[in-house]
Amino acid sequence: MSAPLPTVEDQRDTATFEALMWAMARPGTIHDLPEGLSDLILALVDRECKVMVDDPALARLVATTGATLVSASLADHAFCLSADRALAVLTALPGGSALYPDQGATLVLPARLGQGPALRLSGPGVDGTCDVRIGGLPDGFLAARAARCRYPEGIEIAFVDGRRVMGLPRSTTVKVL
Amino acid sequence: MTLATLTRPWAAMSYGFLDASAKREMRRKIIKAIAVPGCQMPYASREVPIARGWGTGGLQVTLTLIKPASVVKVIDQGADDSVNAASIRRFLSRVSGAAETWDTLEATILQSRHRIPEERLRDDQVLVLQVPNPEPLRPVQPNMSIARQMHADADYGRLWLVLYEQMVRSGRIVQGAAYPSLVNGRHVMTPSPIPRWDVPKLHMAHHLTLLSAGREKRLYAVPPFTRVEPLVFSDVPYQVEDHAGLTCHRSGLSGVFMNEIPQDSGGSVFEASDSNLGIKAIRQAEGEATKIGPMWYENGELRP
Repeated sequence: MSAPLPTVEDQRDTATFEALMWAMARPGTIHDLPEGLSDLILALVDRECKVMVDDPALARLVATTGATLVSASLADHAFCLSADRALAVLTALPGGSALYPDQGATLVLPARLGQGPALRLSGPGVDGTCDVRIGGLPDGFLAARAARCRYPEGIEIAFVDGRRVMGLPRSTTVKVL
Repeated sequence: MTLATLTRPWAAMSYGFLDASAKREMRRKIIKAIAVPGCQMPYASREVPIARGWGTGGLQVTLTLIKPASVVKVIDQGADDSVNAASIRRFLSRVSGAAETWDTLEATILQSRHRIPEERLRDDQVLVLQVPNPEPLRPVQPNMSIARQMHADADYGRLWLVLYEQMVRSGRIVQGAAYPSLVNGRHVMTPSPIPRWDVPKLHMAHHLTLLSAGREKRLYAVPPFTRVEPLVFSDVPYQVEDHAGLTCHRSGLSGVFMNEIPQDSGGSVFEASDSNLGIKAIRQAEGEATKIGPMWYENGELRP
């Protein structure tokens, strides 16, 4: 019996997840997605999910996965392309509870990695501290994140810049330098 | 949009056995598990073709990660050649085309039952531990709803009481495996029934550890560089098994975790528990070119 071969979709989804998994396991490091932000939708989201998405093209893609399109306050995954709305979405998303930390949502948004204000990350996955630059975020975004991430409650954020992704799990402490 | 565009061509089996929606659920839960180290995340735990309790949790995590370029090592109590380990490894390679190995240094995914290899794991390696009972509070609180509340409150006093009672009854802490450990200063987890010897290998490690209980339908994770502190009293330091003075009767290795083999004469001999490390040591002694990687322990002492 010859070994089965992964389909193109299998390869893309596994590579996407591998990038996201290492991005979350090592906050501050940048990993490569096969194509871009839409990979994350296809690799993570299906009929069991409630998704907030603010872009019509992405909304059509989410619809093909069978996920329910909802407002941010009900979503378990949010894909927010507009920087103007990112703050409101972050504030509205469910953050889980100490009883059910798994109900905290995942937020995916575009950012400019390697530009913008210097940040110092620490926490699980970071050997000591790690300095990064994340640009294109609305004012007060990181302060709002800190307010939402009352560990073990919180929201996971994946910053996507083209084909590159950086993870910011709720366990990471961010200090603006 | 037509039905044809939403449907895939027929195939006898999904790549890596699990179907796409099962993998997506595993992915979502693994991300959450990494984000809250040591916190148990519920998941659906699909049927796989081995019985629950024989490594189905670890198998589902491995099947989610696996790709043709993966190299998998599967160990059962340190041994690569046990029936359980050999069956899981062969199944993994058959459904994915991934390569099989016994060598810790070659593996990209290491699925393990109850041991962590003696050679240090690297940044790019994922350790998947099979977990029979993921709930450290079960011995002190059988009601899982109350146990969940205790985790939410970080109410772990009763675990310290168990250790205290062991001290009072036996004069020392007798918890040999699945030693409760505080992860990232917040959640107590059971590190699966690895010996005390292996728990410090998870503390501030370079590799990613995923722990998954298929029968209990929960998974949790220890990301790299995460604090994993065994529960101890400040005046009673954590002690690993005293195997520093033992020598493997087959390979001559010393300063590694040993299995005790009782003999007919009434005595016992010892054998390195990490069986492939023993094999590599024998090959080296016979003059073959075999590479043994850096070890966690040196002469029975953990290296920083």
